[in-house]
Amino acid sequence: MRYLLPLAVTRSAERHPDRQAIRVTGQSLTYAELEGRSNSLARTLHELGLSRGERVGIYMNKGLESAVAIYGIMKAGGAYVPLDPFAPVARIGFVIQDCGIRHLITKETKREQIGEILTDKTCVEYVIGLAESDGLKVHCVSWEDVYRTPSHSLRMNITEQDLAYILYTSGSTGVPKGIMHTHRSGLSFAEWGVDTYALTHEDRLSNHAPLHFDLSTFDYFSSAIAGATTVIIPEALTKFPANLSGLMEEESISVWYSVPFALIQLMEHGGIQKRDLSALRWILFAGEVFPTKHLRNLMAMFPHVRFSNLYGPTETNVCTYYHVEQIPPDTEDTIPIGMPCANIEDLVVDLDDKPVTPGEVGELLIRGGVVMEGYWGQPEKTAQGFYRRPSFGQFEDIFYRTGDLVQLDANGNYRYLGRKDRQIKTRGYRVELDEIEVALLAHAGVQEAAAYPIPDNQGSNLIEAAVILKVSNNLASSDLVEHLSRRLPPYAIPVRIDIMDDFPRTSTGKINRRELRERALGRLAL
Amino acid sequence: MDRKALLIDYIKDEIMRNKNAKLDENEDLLSAGILDSLAILQLVAYIDKELAIEVPDEDVIYDNFKSINSLVSYLQRF
Repeated sequence: MRYLLPLAVTRSAERHPDRQAIRVTGQSLTYAELEGRSNSLARTLHELGLSRGERVGIYMNKGLESAVAIYGIMKAGGAYVPLDPFAPVARIGFVIQDCGIRHLITKETKREQIGEILTDKTCVEYVIGLAESDGLKVHCVSWEDVYRTPSHSLRMNITEQDLAYILYTSGSTGVPKGIMHTHRSGLSFAEWGVDTYALTHEDRLSNHAPLHFDLSTFDYFSSAIAGATTVIIPEALTKFPANLSGLMEEESISVWYSVPFALIQLMEHGGIQKRDLSALRWILFAGEVFPTKHLRNLMAMFPHVRFSNLYGPTETNVCTYYHVEQIPPDTEDTIPIGMPCANIEDLVVDLDDKPVTPGEVGELLIRGGVVMEGYWGQPEKTAQGFYRRPSFGQFEDIFYRTGDLVQLDANGNYRYLGRKDRQIKTRGYRVELDEIEVALLAHAGVQEAAAYPIPDNQGSNLIEAAVILKVSNNLASSDLVEHLSRRLPPYAIPVRIDIMDDFPRTSTGKINRRELRERALGRLAL
Repeated sequence: MDRKALLIDYIKDEIMRNKNAKLDENEDLLSAGILDSLAILQLVAYIDKELAIEVPDEDVIYDNFKSINSLVSYLQRF
């Protein structure tokens, strides 16, 4: 009986209490410890008045406490909301207000930022993880106090349709949007992961992705269902390929999951030839297209490992997958995104929402248990995200619109062709270019703004921007970068902002972003 | 200018892109989110170009790039 995500930990604690559930830099928690500590946290949250369906923020670098927080929050009947520990405090403050977070879980290392986030208007009432208030007008509870709370199991008065977590991503109107997942949608994906990659309690899964990135749900939930070990890679180490390859060896990682960029870095700078990675059996990647040339090289380095491409917007967890076959030496064709996962219905429609014939290009729509509940507090946006198809004149089949253009190939695999809108990926993060332009236009000195992606030849994009200033001011691009750094996460800040007198225009007078992008590419080619 | 001052200036100007940023010599540049993957590549390229030190891949590790002081102390071996 596993209808709630945290029950995966409870069941594994019953079956393998002494097996390691979580590891990070030499520290670890067994399943029994993870179960007990998350029960203590859930009880603490109850005592602090958390009610069913309430949102609880997790604001800290990854570690044992963040894992305890994920399960403790859900056990208390709440939905966890991971806050990017490196995002500007204004953005964190926005998310907190947007979904009405009263309880925030953190660590002492974030004390300074918490002080900035907790303005007079904040809705936060309780901070767990700080020893005393020290000038903060909120109730604080230390981790020591949490762990002194009884750790026996508690009744969870929730159903599988209750909210489990909310992941915030870039929104085109300039404000982040919260993607709501239920226990059911999270479990639908996590159970599929366990089956497809045949995970067992012997496996050791990497957790490379940050918690606000949906890849992390596989690392934790599929692992917990299998009774396997999740090896958390601290944010700092994810930046160093040589550290990563060392960690893969020392921790005997058997299932690796990350964006392609991390794997390409690992291959080019990680010195993996010198490492013993014989424990590795699966390399999973998602988030972006893996450049074929690099993937072929990587596969040649690991002949004993299988490779799988996972596809799906955060709104659907993962919805299609492709186990990579041998790639011929002479092809540069990108690999397919594959076939729908178990219990998922796919539909491809044209611009008029008419189903296309197999092989024609169209937008991919997805239906099934993995699909999100909707966008937090945005019923209109949620309605726009779904397509309702009447069925037998009495029912409606509700599909999520991925916004991705696909084509079915002769082998029955989908191929990804691009986006319908202006969303791009940079290092696995999705960014709405409109959001960057809106943020630039929010500066009083900016008249017009354009943002565009530049391929980085590492399988990802960098972002550049150009602006026209209002007359009589002498802003420098560094002023604009500083302005953006208070509004956008680091990965969304353009690597270059050009200040121009005028933009190239289309015949209708619109900004010709394509031409701006061509010029930038021309400059880089020099 | 000595190496430390050069590196501090470079990180402030080109990576943090804010000349007035405060930057503690012992601050953990990674845990604070100042250095990301791209910034590390930029920094390695800068060290190569300006200090004529080619940092080998196996030395591009957290311990050597943790803070300004750890980087300066690592670079002393060249």
